[in-house]
Amino acid sequence: MNFREILKFTTVADRVLFSILILLSLLGLIFVRSLIPGGNSVEIDVDGNLEYVLPLDEEKTVPVQGPQGTTLVEIRNHRVRVVESPCQNKLCIQQGWVEHGVIACLPNKVLITVGKNGKRSSEPDAVTE
Amino acid sequence: MQSPNRYQIALLSAYALALHGFESMFPSPVPWLRLGLANIVTLITLLLYGLRAAVTVTLIRVVLASILNGTFLGPAFLLSLGGGILSTLSMGFFASLTPRLFSATGLSLIGALFHNGAQLLLAYALFIQRIEAVLLITPLIVLLGTLTGTINGIVSELIIKNLKKSGEKIQNVDT
Amino acid sequence: MNTIVTITVVASSERTAEDAIEDAFLTIGDIEKRADFYSPESEITSINKSAGVSDVKVSPDILSLIGKALSVSEKTEGAFDITIGPVTLLYDFHTKQKPEYDALRKTLPLVNYRNVVINKNDSTVYLRKPGMMIDPGGISKGYAADRATDVLKHHGISSGIVAIAGDIRAFGLKPDGRPWKIGIRNSRATGTEDDIMATMELTDAAVSTSGDYERFFISDGIRYHHVLSPMTGRPAGMCRSVTVIAPEGYLADSFSTGIFILGPEKGLRILETSGYGGVIVDNQGKVRITPGLRGKIEFQRNP
Repeated sequence: MNFREILKFTTVADRVLFSILILLSLLGLIFVRSLIPGGNSVEIDVDGNLEYVLPLDEEKTVPVQGPQGTTLVEIRNHRVRVVESPCQNKLCIQQGWVEHGVIACLPNKVLITVGKNGKRSSEPDAVTE
Repeated sequence: MQSPNRYQIALLSAYALALHGFESMFPSPVPWLRLGLANIVTLITLLLYGLRAAVTVTLIRVVLASILNGTFLGPAFLLSLGGGILSTLSMGFFASLTPRLFSATGLSLIGALFHNGAQLLLAYALFIQRIEAVLLITPLIVLLGTLTGTINGIVSELIIKNLKKSGEKIQNVDT
Repeated sequence: MNTIVTITVVASSERTAEDAIEDAFLTIGDIEKRADFYSPESEITSINKSAGVSDVKVSPDILSLIGKALSVSEKTEGAFDITIGPVTLLYDFHTKQKPEYDALRKTLPLVNYRNVVINKNDSTVYLRKPGMMIDPGGISKGYAADRATDVLKHHGISSGIVAIAGDIRAFGLKPDGRPWKIGIRNSRATGTEDDIMATMELTDAAVSTSGDYERFFISDGIRYHHVLSPMTGRPAGMCRSVTVIAPEGYLADSFSTGIFILGPEKGLRILETSGYGGVIVDNQGKVRITPGLRGKIEFQRNP
């Protein structure tokens, strides 16, 4: 079994389709992330509900409770990553450190988004307490 | 193409189920990677016995697998079902609409693409509800789907060739 | 009431601004006087004194305030209830006094907003049971902020912010064209006054917060605070703080109290069906917000 044999039983359409898909997904990989703006805060959703909003410039490790267990989220050096997850595929951990965009753990229904949460500059005009 | 009897359906479903279970048994080297080995059986069934049989085998495999790992009717089941059915239908569609345009490898690629597409859409509708999250993960999913889809397609092609060469049908164990 | 009131306005001349603000202060002072639960001369006290005896003629403000309070009671499943008065009196947050079980048991049946009868034609209010008392503390400041805003607008002010303690009503835009920036105080602040949990920019809206940290004492390790549940007569325990963003001050004020009592799950549901925004810190310190606030609220540090 070698490459030429494989080429023999694939059709031209096969190869065109293969090339298009590879090309598009590689382009997507390169460009999609840069299209998504970075931010200064990390929003963590569990099962569609926003549960945490944390500043990106403060070191912190947060245990997030999902339906399958605890997803451990770490924020450091303006980046966020998943350290531990109860899910099987560990996709979320593999994504490593993320500066902008999203880490999703579908099995545990945890969604981590680096948000564009405005500037945290001026003093508020009034405070509710 | 012949129409399969119920033993052949059962046997094919069992193969699919076994591959499905086999795949989920050990953590794959790259965690993003789901080989979708069961798709090999779906594709072979489609090419040898037609769309109806392929859909049946897919349904049986998805339902049984989810019952066995306890996700029946849960979200993972819905993703699996949506992906499985749409991928089978899309392969059947291209196989009958444009015969000979794609080989098993091309069909497998189409199946993988639709499988991923359905899962991403379902995941968006059911849990994520944030389009940027889906967009971000789509290229990677498509890339990996293309690679595994190609491998599965080639494997299917080889199995079909071997089956035809040796003149064997998929035997049922009933004697 | 010893509350700090701040009014900020954007006006064409200092004169206009001063006149408007003075008028607004007078309005707030007037409402506070009429609605004061603890003053023997207030309209509220005269209603309470006549409970079970006769109806009492009241000013339009008090009539309107009580009517609005009853409508919020309906929308919060009775969790917000101005007839909490007799229970309020059982607690004293200065002397750390809390009620015995017996006293609570006798008092609780008096708490029921359905026993408040208002007659809009005659401008009267009547409490059906003797011993009933209206304590409008959970809505009067928000209502006063609304009325002060009306007064400012009447003076031709197009933009401003009225803050009566933590009950805020903002309208129009700042001179730089931006909406007003409102901070939410951290529910477990460590002393510093400007310990802000989050900020958000908004206009033509009101914001209020109910927290377990405003007036409280700790006895035997239990935190006794001033947000009392009409169901149990005890401090509600499911939240640390609830901030509500609503179109009007009386809504934000009363809903923040009601939702504090109902807890995060039910509270979020009610806020969503009412179309109001909310930031809820539950008793574990976990923060939840209504979906509509996403991206509009900026958190300063982990609360």
